[in-house]
Amino acid sequence: MASLPESNPTEHSRPIATSQTFRFAIFVIALFQCAIVPVLCADEQGKPTSFVNDVIPLLTKSGCNSGVCHAKAGNGQNGFRLSLLGFEPKEDYEYMVKDSRGRRVSLAAPESSLLLVKATAKVSHGGGARLQESSAEYALLHDWIRNGARYDLDSAPKLVSLEVQPNRATLKPGTQQQLKVIATYSDQSQRDITKTALFETNDSAMAEVTASGLVTVLDLPGKVAVMVRYQGNVSVFNASVPLGAAIDSLPPSKNFVDDAVFANLKELGVPPSPLCDDTTFLRRVSLDIAGRLPTDDERTRFFASQESNKREVAIDSLLRSSEYADFFANKWTAMLKNRRDDASDITSNFAFHAWVRDSLLANKPYDQMVRELLAATGTVIANPPVVWYKRVKEPKQQVEDVAQLFLGVRMQCAQCHHHPFERWSQDDYYSFSAFFTQVGRKPTATRGEDMIFHKRGMAVATNVKSGSVLKPAALGDAIPAIAADEDPRLKLADWMSSPSNPFFAKAVVNRYWKHFLRRGLVEPEDDIRDTNPPSNPELLAALEKHFVASGFDLKSLIRVITSSNAYQLSSSPNQYNIADQQNYSRYYPRRMQAEVFLDAIDDLAGSRTEFPNLPSGTRAIALPDNSYNNASPFLKVFGRPENESVCECERIQSSSLAQSLHLINANDVKSKLAKGNGRADRLSKSDNSAEEKVRELYLVAFSREPRSEELKASIEFLAEPRVDAAGNAIDPQKAKQESLQDLIWALINTKEFLFNH
Amino acid sequence: MSNYLRALSVNPPPRPASGRRGRGVRGGRTNIFSSPLFKDLVSREGEAPAEPLHIKLGRSLAFPNSLIANVVSKIFLAMRLVLAIVLTSTLSVTSLAQSVCLPLPRLLTTMPMGGTVGSQVEITITGENIDGPEALLFTHHGLSAVPKLDANGKAEANKYVVTIAADTPIGIHEARLISRLGISSSRAFSVGSLPEVSQNGPTTSLGKAMPINCNSICNAVMTDKSIDHFSFDAKQGHRYIVHCASRGVDSKLDAVLVIADAEGRDLVVERRGGTLDFTATNDGKHILKIHDLTFKGGPAYFYRLTLLELPADEAIPTFPSTKSVSSFSWPPSGLEPNAATQEAEPNNSNAMAQKITLPCDIAGSFFPAADVDSFEFQASKGDVWWVEVASERLGRPTDPSAIVQHVAVDAGVEKLTDVAEFSDIASPVKLSSNGYAYDGPPYDGGSLDIIGKLEIKADGLHRIQLSDLFGGTRNDARNGYRMIIRKAAPDFALAGWGLHMELRNGDRNALSKPLALRNGMTVALEIVAVRRDGFDGEIALMMEGLPDGVTAQGLKIPAGKTRGIMLITADEKAPKSLADVTFYGKSVVAGGEVKRPVQMAAMAWPIVDSWGEIPSPRLVKGLPISVTGAEFAPISIAPKEKKVWVATAGQKLTIPLQHTRRCEFSGTVLQLKTSGAGFENVPRFDVSLASDSSEATLDLAALKTPPGDYLIAFYGSAVAKYRSGIADKEKTPTSDTVEIVLSEPIAISVIPAEAK
Repeated sequence: MASLPESNPTEHSRPIATSQTFRFAIFVIALFQCAIVPVLCADEQGKPTSFVNDVIPLLTKSGCNSGVCHAKAGNGQNGFRLSLLGFEPKEDYEYMVKDSRGRRVSLAAPESSLLLVKATAKVSHGGGARLQESSAEYALLHDWIRNGARYDLDSAPKLVSLEVQPNRATLKPGTQQQLKVIATYSDQSQRDITKTALFETNDSAMAEVTASGLVTVLDLPGKVAVMVRYQGNVSVFNASVPLGAAIDSLPPSKNFVDDAVFANLKELGVPPSPLCDDTTFLRRVSLDIAGRLPTDDERTRFFASQESNKREVAIDSLLRSSEYADFFANKWTAMLKNRRDDASDITSNFAFHAWVRDSLLANKPYDQMVRELLAATGTVIANPPVVWYKRVKEPKQQVEDVAQLFLGVRMQCAQCHHHPFERWSQDDYYSFSAFFTQVGRKPTATRGEDMIFHKRGMAVATNVKSGSVLKPAALGDAIPAIAADEDPRLKLADWMSSPSNPFFAKAVVNRYWKHFLRRGLVEPEDDIRDTNPPSNPELLAALEKHFVASGFDLKSLIRVITSSNAYQLSSSPNQYNIADQQNYSRYYPRRMQAEVFLDAIDDLAGSRTEFPNLPSGTRAIALPDNSYNNASPFLKVFGRPENESVCECERIQSSSLAQSLHLINANDVKSKLAKGNGRADRLSKSDNSAEEKVRELYLVAFSREPRSEELKASIEFLAEPRVDAAGNAIDPQKAKQESLQDLIWALINTKEFLFNH
Repeated sequence: MSNYLRALSVNPPPRPASGRRGRGVRGGRTNIFSSPLFKDLVSREGEAPAEPLHIKLGRSLAFPNSLIANVVSKIFLAMRLVLAIVLTSTLSVTSLAQSVCLPLPRLLTTMPMGGTVGSQVEITITGENIDGPEALLFTHHGLSAVPKLDANGKAEANKYVVTIAADTPIGIHEARLISRLGISSSRAFSVGSLPEVSQNGPTTSLGKAMPINCNSICNAVMTDKSIDHFSFDAKQGHRYIVHCASRGVDSKLDAVLVIADAEGRDLVVERRGGTLDFTATNDGKHILKIHDLTFKGGPAYFYRLTLLELPADEAIPTFPSTKSVSSFSWPPSGLEPNAATQEAEPNNSNAMAQKITLPCDIAGSFFPAADVDSFEFQASKGDVWWVEVASERLGRPTDPSAIVQHVAVDAGVEKLTDVAEFSDIASPVKLSSNGYAYDGPPYDGGSLDIIGKLEIKADGLHRIQLSDLFGGTRNDARNGYRMIIRKAAPDFALAGWGLHMELRNGDRNALSKPLALRNGMTVALEIVAVRRDGFDGEIALMMEGLPDGVTAQGLKIPAGKTRGIMLITADEKAPKSLADVTFYGKSVVAGGEVKRPVQMAAMAWPIVDSWGEIPSPRLVKGLPISVTGAEFAPISIAPKEKKVWVATAGQKLTIPLQHTRRCEFSGTVLQLKTSGAGFENVPRFDVSLASDSSEATLDLAALKTPPGDYLIAFYGSAVAKYRSGIADKEKTPTSDTVEIVLSEPIAISVIPAEAK
């Protein structure tokens, strides 16, 4: 929780930029603005202090009504309760002035008010000193009490809008920008509320912002935003941070993706890395589309091809493979919470996973898939998407999951109060939940499993706070009247798949972009809001447009991304773009995710991991639910999710000591290497030369031939005699096997293997 | 002649001289039961008659004592009783080591599962508790089986040669085995017109793909955790239909069908038990993959794979299937096979409503997704119509819903007023809630279809909107329906199944219970009724053609109620016998007697844990009842006198009970409750499992039983130390087996106090 910044009652703004010139310029601008806008605080205008427009914002800025302090769910903090971020001024007035026999506010002796003596920590205060007695904020509160602690919700002018000045700027790395925030009220008055506004950057690696609105740009090029919040209203400052390097040449543009990415790089002066070579591309695109290393056949065909479009051919081939469907079903079913809580869940989980997988295999349009899920009815066997309603039973959870997963909107906050970062109110939340109020359930012969049907009736939901009864509305968009006979979920699906829907296509193209490029155009990928703008808005808009125009064709989306040169850039940085983490000036390497990594080890070791209830040979990317994590320490250690969250962040991609130890000495990895008829065993019995064996290993592991020094070192290693603990030479055949196992193990532990690059 | 007996007669059959107890087939050169093997099988310790099997062809009821039988029969016809046997938590606690229910013979698999009409097919069977197999019987006389003989003329174990006569109907028939313990549960046996082959060994990899021909059927068994592979040659542009019969032929397999290219790469997939409709995009070898939805396998996971080549414009044929329990209430008696009218699209909106007149009989389809079919008709205030819709009962995964609205027009604007809303047909009894303990049968006699009363409240135009509550997103033209709107035609349909027991330690058995009676045993069937068009009368339950020494006392389904009990008792001395019984309910509708068959339902598989495996009940054909003549009930409880017990209202009635104990029990006390309308509140009472007698005291004052005739039974459960009756019995270890204990029915006449 940020404490109130030290401020001088007479201080309005601080120097804005480090450069004297820049500072002067801004000063002039500020003076100009002051001249044209009647920006004055309450006291300065001689008006009485407003509870709504002065006191509440002050409490918010001081952190008093944050969720961890007096707005904590339940009963606030130590008996003193405030509404979260001051969204309920009427209740706050009751809490402050009338509760506890009015002892928090002393009109007779304002300075003795508990509110002030606690805030200044004159008496013990768990939150420490939030105000200095000498500060303007203290004076404001004191004056409000002294003047009768009046309540003015009905009479005070209403906050209409918020404006941050400037709202856009190009800032060189290392420079600063002071922001100014102007509030406009219903009586047309305006006030500088910079001191009481809240500031937050969307990427702390790129920019920092102080509590008083001073932005400091760090050394990463790209786009960064600072969100300004004040009394339920938000505004955004967008900064472009150029690197400013000269760009001599750019890779040719193959499609609109390249146009947008390279234009952005040009604007920022970030020279991209060159295109990757064929071997890197094939391995990369195979891992990204099919979740596996290239097969021998694919490698052979690809390298033998002299066609200029062989990369596109490889992409199309991968998109036709069943592994593509397996891999992306793995992705979607995790977010759709295909979780095994009970042994009897197996049928529903397998059915649901298979429905997703088959839909992807058939390239069912994305809007149709979502429609079938949202408006699912019937039984598990006859219509597997109903399983989602088994996993996500409560309408509130349905609302929140649907909004976050398919619309990129996080609605959770709006259940209890106005969303602090967004425009979503509780009415928005409950009117959205009204779509799910007519979901009927009938019991089946399977414990815990229902048949889902549309229950006839008018779909309405009640705002639990206001008690108002709300008809279905989709994130502020009115929906035509829904008759009692109509399933409102179908109307929601209609709204989603409308080409003009501002959320639906955007959310999925951003999610898929992140899948292939590691970073979403909006980060996190499921938190798309005005206050969290995309790093490349033109690209996001173009992808969205393409996706809608293609008929919500997911394969087409993948094709357009992976066939772009932006995707096919080398991961090796140049002297300029090594720090770039946002502009896609190079391919950002990623550790293979748990399932892909396990399969890759199996491919290289020539073994297969056996999974309960599944045929031998089933790949880890084809696992239908989370239950296999228990049986496979590998999957757990490398972060396979438990399918409990709609957020992809549940998957752990960070590295850990446990992962290193697992690769170094875990039994399951060892046993794969030593498996009878595994690759090491087979090669040890092969008549092929050592060079041929090493080449095979490198081709499988890295999709490339060994370099000469690698070849030499490997051959020498294989030729080394092996001795047992007593120093005696071991059986030659066994020695061959062990040497090959060691070599494979060494390859597995290379970053080149571990990462998709 | 019953189909079972016809089947036996092909063998040829032993024919009893009459249906009376103690008489049966003796001698006879062709009597299959006169073989030394059979004699060994039926001989046993104790007093049970070591006689050959009696097969009863007659339809008369046979009672041990004709006088008692007549009295009981009269009471049975007159009384308004129902034996609401819900075996509650009073029953004994079983340990984990206990078995549930005494062993009953069950035919589990036949391989292959069918054959081509007009051919002979060699099959291998498996089952449980089928020691001493005697004959394989079928539900249609066109099917017959003889043991397969080896080169030495000796019958090979569990192998039969089935002859499928040329006039055997195409479709699903059923097979049962008669063995030492009696008649087994049934297993579907399909008869088709296409050539059939059987899987020739494991086909669990691409390299082992078995070639199959177009327009043929392959009988196969899924291997656990595996995918079966078959190959066929396709021609570009040709259309192929792949169907896998599994659940519909009693298999546990939830079939997944995949067509892949020659390298095994998946092209199209069907997982919902439907058919794959595939048009080849290139010539050459294609792979057909089959697996279970959860990759289960084993003998129970058999299937019949059909590959057809069809012209592009030809409809996919309907593939035969067993029937769901819910379908017993369809069709209404006397319904024409085909509807008089077809729905005419577009009829989705009020403006496009299809005009009809009542009564009507319309066939249509819930297609495409979210289809609404709207019909409009004129009706007059006070009219009463009955609306019946069938779709789920036709085997479709649908949930029909109908809304009827009155249409008034005011100043050119329609005003719609809801008149009626129709949804499901309620289950006649409370269903299992799948809880820890048994709290209802796992047989759902209700349906997602519709039977409802439509009372017209105002003259004028009305609309009925029909939709599928499951159809919002599904596009399947096969989801057809039939809607009938008729004047009241009161009627009823009946279904029954072996009564399940409740055990409070979480037993979740769902067992098929063939009526293979042990001597001295009383078993109960639970009977449910779906009442149609306001029919409210009482329904008597009757059986005809019982085996010798077997009595059946049906407790009427009282007026307005939907549940009854049928008690079937095998006399202690009943001979070994088998009969195909006619079971029906009888009532008076509109002044005339109406008989309706009781359609029996059974579990496709015995399931010992219905949490881990979902039971698969379905309707079965016929009702064969056998008496083993080889084993006794662990205990028989009967009134000491077979008579009508007369009692005065407001007084106490004490009924001395006689216990016939034939084995040891775990525990010493049997706690009994009382079934029968008016007597359910009799406090539970204990009887000693170590005693040969006990008393039941009924306090008519406390029960406030009004004068009348009643039929009751006492019930409980006991853990018998069961020992199989196979050859060297003394050396056979006992196993603790919990079983329902039912007393023989007891007739009571309560007379008014002043009449004494």
